[in-house]
Amino acid sequence: MSTRRRIRLRLALRNLRRQKRRSVLSGSAMVLAMALLVFSRAIAEGGHEDWIDAGVRMGGGHVSVQAPDYRTRRTLEYRLSPEVRAAVQDALRSDEISRRLVASAPRLIVQGLASSSQAALPAAIMAVDPELETHFSALQDKLMDGRWLEPDDRLHAYVGYRLANRLKLREGSRFVLTAQDANGDISGQMVRVAGTFRSGIPDMDEGFIQIPLATAQEWLGVPGAVTTEALLLRGSRDVGPVRRELGRALAGWSDEAEVLGWRESMPELDAAVRMDDWADYVFHLVLFVIAATAIVNTILMSVMYRTREFGVLRALGLERGEVGRVVFIEGMILTAISGLVGMALGAAIVWGFFRNGLDFSALWDMEMEAAGVVIDPVIVPRFRWNQIVQSLFFILAIGSLSSIYPAWRATRIDVAEAMKFEE
Amino acid sequence: MSDGVNGGEVSTGRVRTLGTPAVRTEALWKVYEHDGIRVEAVRDVSMTIQPGEFVVLAGPSGSGKTTLLNMLGGLTRPTDGGVWIDGTDISALSERELARLRLERLGFVFQAYNLLPVLTALENAEFTLLLRDVPADERREKVEKLFERIGMSGLEDRRPGKLSGGQQQRVAVARAVVGQPALVLADEPTANLDTATSSALIDLMAELNRDLGTTFVFATHDTRLLERARRVIRLVDGSIVGDDRRD
Repeated sequence: MSTRRRIRLRLALRNLRRQKRRSVLSGSAMVLAMALLVFSRAIAEGGHEDWIDAGVRMGGGHVSVQAPDYRTRRTLEYRLSPEVRAAVQDALRSDEISRRLVASAPRLIVQGLASSSQAALPAAIMAVDPELETHFSALQDKLMDGRWLEPDDRLHAYVGYRLANRLKLREGSRFVLTAQDANGDISGQMVRVAGTFRSGIPDMDEGFIQIPLATAQEWLGVPGAVTTEALLLRGSRDVGPVRRELGRALAGWSDEAEVLGWRESMPELDAAVRMDDWADYVFHLVLFVIAATAIVNTILMSVMYRTREFGVLRALGLERGEVGRVVFIEGMILTAISGLVGMALGAAIVWGFFRNGLDFSALWDMEMEAAGVVIDPVIVPRFRWNQIVQSLFFILAIGSLSSIYPAWRATRIDVAEAMKFEE
Repeated sequence: MSDGVNGGEVSTGRVRTLGTPAVRTEALWKVYEHDGIRVEAVRDVSMTIQPGEFVVLAGPSGSGKTTLLNMLGGLTRPTDGGVWIDGTDISALSERELARLRLERLGFVFQAYNLLPVLTALENAEFTLLLRDVPADERREKVEKLFERIGMSGLEDRRPGKLSGGQQQRVAVARAVVGQPALVLADEPTANLDTATSSALIDLMAELNRDLGTTFVFATHDTRLLERARRVIRLVDGSIVGDDRRD
């Protein structure tokens, strides 16, 4: 480091130390803003991850394999053959995927009609493998009456409680499911209510039924076929690598299968998460402005107060720009130190008090639903490396932006006038 | 008006060189205009100060002493005319060149001491040497010698806030002379000091002028300093009205 740089650094550091009270006061605004930022980011990150997790468990998983066009057509014509399913299962055994995979579940989903002696109502029918589904879906935990499906079940159904009420069904009641089969014919299947559930999502409670996969395949004439192979991963960060690897493995089946991430298979959830992200950005912008204002105010006050000192520095031979740099360095040091302390404080608060989750149940209904997902009122905060990198960038941005103006003001000081300045 | 002294002439017995003057001004003007009101702070000042002189710019408040001193130090640009320091026309220098000239050839002593509050006495005194990249050993040696001479030994590590006014001004003088500049400009250096401290400081500066040959130019109306000056240039309303030498 050159001598002049050392001098500038020394002057900046010593001045911060000299104005301890002022430095601490303005630094504390930054500390608070950064702690709040880290806390809110961790909560937002954890909330999103929980939200996505709940959404993908109810829906098509973090990653799903479907026949091309199934998304738009939703008919059995667009299904995965047993051969494609076998290729998917092979791919899941690869190291790249298996270490990220929590569970996989085959699903056959059709739109149909549920009819009882009292009424006939439209319903989404999802045929599942009860054994595999246990590790995947959270729907079995939403049981109201009766029980969930069991591996040996054949003609059993798990029904949304509102649908069951409207059809006047109780545990053990029989009713008929009607849907278009693989040949395009309307086909019916009698089933019996094993249990009813209350998911908290009106669409599901009013029109969703689960039945065993084998029953549906036989009823609809699609032995061994499914409409979706859903994969549950450790987290949303794993979507990219798994999707790429699976895409490579299924490259030879591109006419019959496509690999989708949750953002594509659940666009409403994607839009809701993105919107929430924007709300976070606005909140962070407010924090940014608060922190920057505190820093600008402190540094600017310091520049005004030290007008004579800057005049002396200029008289002694420091260049205009060098005086500005002293001020800029002061701002950067103040921001960096208080920013890092704020980050550490935020992390300590999150880790110390809320590592097992922050319970918002007092603030919102246990069944608050957004984008077709019931949001768990207990949010477990999460940290990510990119959060830390972004926060560091945030600190530097605040430091530089809020120090530029005071530094510029310091360079504009008239030396002769500065000497008349009364401290 | 001219003081009748031309560059190259011998001015006093203690002047170091006969070549390039330490200061030369020619038809120097400084005019301020505020809200249509024109104030001629310095009017047509031409003068020459030889190296080693101990000069006082005297005059009542508002006579233009400080403005003239500021122009000599390159702190204020003249409206018209020229200033040469050690042969260099400073009117033609850029901001950066002026800063370098101030660092290498000028020393300043201010009425309010103006030490840097975050530095110790020793660091303040060696500040210009530090900016000039003088090695640490050499810096310390020069400052310590000077401190011994001005009676500041033992106070090197004190911050300005822990020094008396007289001590602070001694440090300021040390800072001004330590780099052996061509010229030391001092604006009312004794105005904030009591009689005894003022006298001691004047003695010190006179001693440094005599022993080191440093050229001093003061702006003051302190009679004690006027008595000790070997040349008094009197200013009234921005113009030189007298130039007395006391050899």
